[in-house]
Amino acid sequence: MAFDGFDPFSVLGIAQTATLDDVKAAFRRVARRLHPDVNRHPGAGAQFQYINNAYEVLSDPAQRSAYEKARTDDDPEHPYFTMRVTPSRRRIQPLDEPQVIYLLADIFPDPRATQDSTERETRLNLCLALDRSNSMNGARLNEVKIAAHQIIDLLNADDIFSIVAFSDRAEVIIPATHVTDKPAMKARVSMMTASGGTEIFQGLNAAVEQTRRFLAPRLVNHILLLTDGHTFGDQMQTLELARTAAKEGILVSAMGLGQEWNNKFLDEIASLTGGSSAYINSSGAVVRFLNTHVRNLSNVFADRLQLSIAPDPDVKLESVFKLQPNPQPLPIGQGFIPLGSLQRNRPTSVLMQFEFPAGLTREFRSIARIVTVGDILAERIHNFHAMSDISVEVSADATVENPPTAILDALGKLTLYRMQERANEALENGDIRQATRHLENLAARLSAMGEVELAQQARAEAQQVAHTSALTEKGRKVLKYQTRHLLLGETTGETT
Amino acid sequence: MKTCPYCGYRNRPGSLFCEDCAQPLHEDARLMTLQTRQIEDDEIDLLSQSTWGTASFEQHAIVIIHVRDASEPLHLRPTADQLTIGRADVSNPIRPDLDLTPYGAMENGVSRLHAAIARNDNTLTLVDLGSSNGTFLNGQRLTEQTPRVLRDGDEIRFGRLVTHIYFQDENGF
Repeated sequence: MAFDGFDPFSVLGIAQTATLDDVKAAFRRVARRLHPDVNRHPGAGAQFQYINNAYEVLSDPAQRSAYEKARTDDDPEHPYFTMRVTPSRRRIQPLDEPQVIYLLADIFPDPRATQDSTERETRLNLCLALDRSNSMNGARLNEVKIAAHQIIDLLNADDIFSIVAFSDRAEVIIPATHVTDKPAMKARVSMMTASGGTEIFQGLNAAVEQTRRFLAPRLVNHILLLTDGHTFGDQMQTLELARTAAKEGILVSAMGLGQEWNNKFLDEIASLTGGSSAYINSSGAVVRFLNTHVRNLSNVFADRLQLSIAPDPDVKLESVFKLQPNPQPLPIGQGFIPLGSLQRNRPTSVLMQFEFPAGLTREFRSIARIVTVGDILAERIHNFHAMSDISVEVSADATVENPPTAILDALGKLTLYRMQERANEALENGDIRQATRHLENLAARLSAMGEVELAQQARAEAQQVAHTSALTEKGRKVLKYQTRHLLLGETTGETT
Repeated sequence: MKTCPYCGYRNRPGSLFCEDCAQPLHEDARLMTLQTRQIEDDEIDLLSQSTWGTASFEQHAIVIIHVRDASEPLHLRPTADQLTIGRADVSNPIRPDLDLTPYGAMENGVSRLHAAIARNDNTLTLVDLGSSNGTFLNGQRLTEQTPRVLRDGDEIRFGRLVTHIYFQDENGF
């Protein structure tokens, strides 16, 4: 039987008392919105299987009664996580030009589900992939060692831990194992020395191998990659590996130390797998960064969260951005977007931007169907899901609605992040004037918001660009990662 | 269209922040920015107070520019093309539409082609044409070649030459 865990009634949008005719009519209605033949968006393709399955179950009386029986035999419905989607407005006017609408999706762990799982600590399958190229020599490597020692102290015997050190080749410092002999592990960390260049593929490959040894759906399978250099020639290979790792359920988080690393590349690795990326300004901040990261990992409630967005055929999805727990832009060209992990103590929030076409008819209409799936670690539940259909009213009523504060707040900060992205794009296209303008606008907004230091940095970079046609590496990274961090509503503490 | 009151960029309806300059576009924030522009001065008559700060420039309106320390204000009718402002120079054949030489343009560092005012549907924009000493709108320096929407009562500074701009109906007050 094709049952996939989704409630077939809600997938088709009908009541449980629906007749066979209702089921057929509902299927046609949903298919007109989300069938891959009429809806080219990858999200629709990904979600249509659920619709098909739901129809298969409900259109066959035998399967339907089997499903209904299984459902009543089960425990009462227990949501592990819920998703709340807020549109930037609930009413839109029929205009003769395209218009924009934003959706904010908040995914919360269910309070009941987190209460009784306090004893079942999240178990980690963690691998540190550490750059030990020549440039790491001295303070950097020392800080990394201290950080690794502290991480070993944080872990317990249920966790699985490994360390891979890489330069132009990889060496397994600690093979994947339960954390039982902490002193021996620490001793091996202390013996690391720096030499050679940086080849990230070597490091990631060895790390993936170590993680695979204990790979399990009930674990947080996570690789933490730390580097301070550019990798050359192996980027495509590395991204391919990240994709494979993501499919197997391994998340990769990437941290860049200092100024000399390729932020686009590390961001891509992280967003392909659902991991996070971060910029560590100085070696002094390494310990705190790694510690916080591992602590967050041990707070994971559900892992390998994936988001699928299926806009209606005439609606265009323009961008998706994860606001928290780790702010980052997400790719829109795939049916399922990796979201990373859902923490016990805070929601995962995503902001989506859509465009409505010109010439809407007055009606109550849908915008998009949004589905989140994820693995509930403590309960060993695979592919738990939450689904939401979003609708708005198209009406000539011109009363002004106040957009929800949460959306305003997030979007205001996100716009700043976009502004520095656009300055970078303009620079890449050689448009110095445009880049300077974006940076000056960024500075103006930042100082209006009271972000004095960041505003100064933006202003300094604007001058730098006007004079030298390039950003400083440091400025580029500070602006990128700190405007991103504004979204968390807390200062990053990344002071030098 | 939602025209950004700050930079004049035309955003799609529903946008909450200007896609070009990141300024907030929604009503709340717009009201807030207007409020900060209110002046509390009993000396000013009610009529000028009520039009203070409007960005809308009617079909038949004209512009009055007060140059500081000058006795007579300048009356101008902006066209769809640019109305250039600068300093006429014997060595240069290019003449600005509005010559500020009589107002001490030379001493105050006004460039030959300093800035321009252009008319849009129902707004006026000010653009700096790459002046040496900069154009300042209400104290903020403009980026070269970037139009900014003008409001009634704005202070425009060309180099060190301070002027104020007012919008007026053709029929007088």
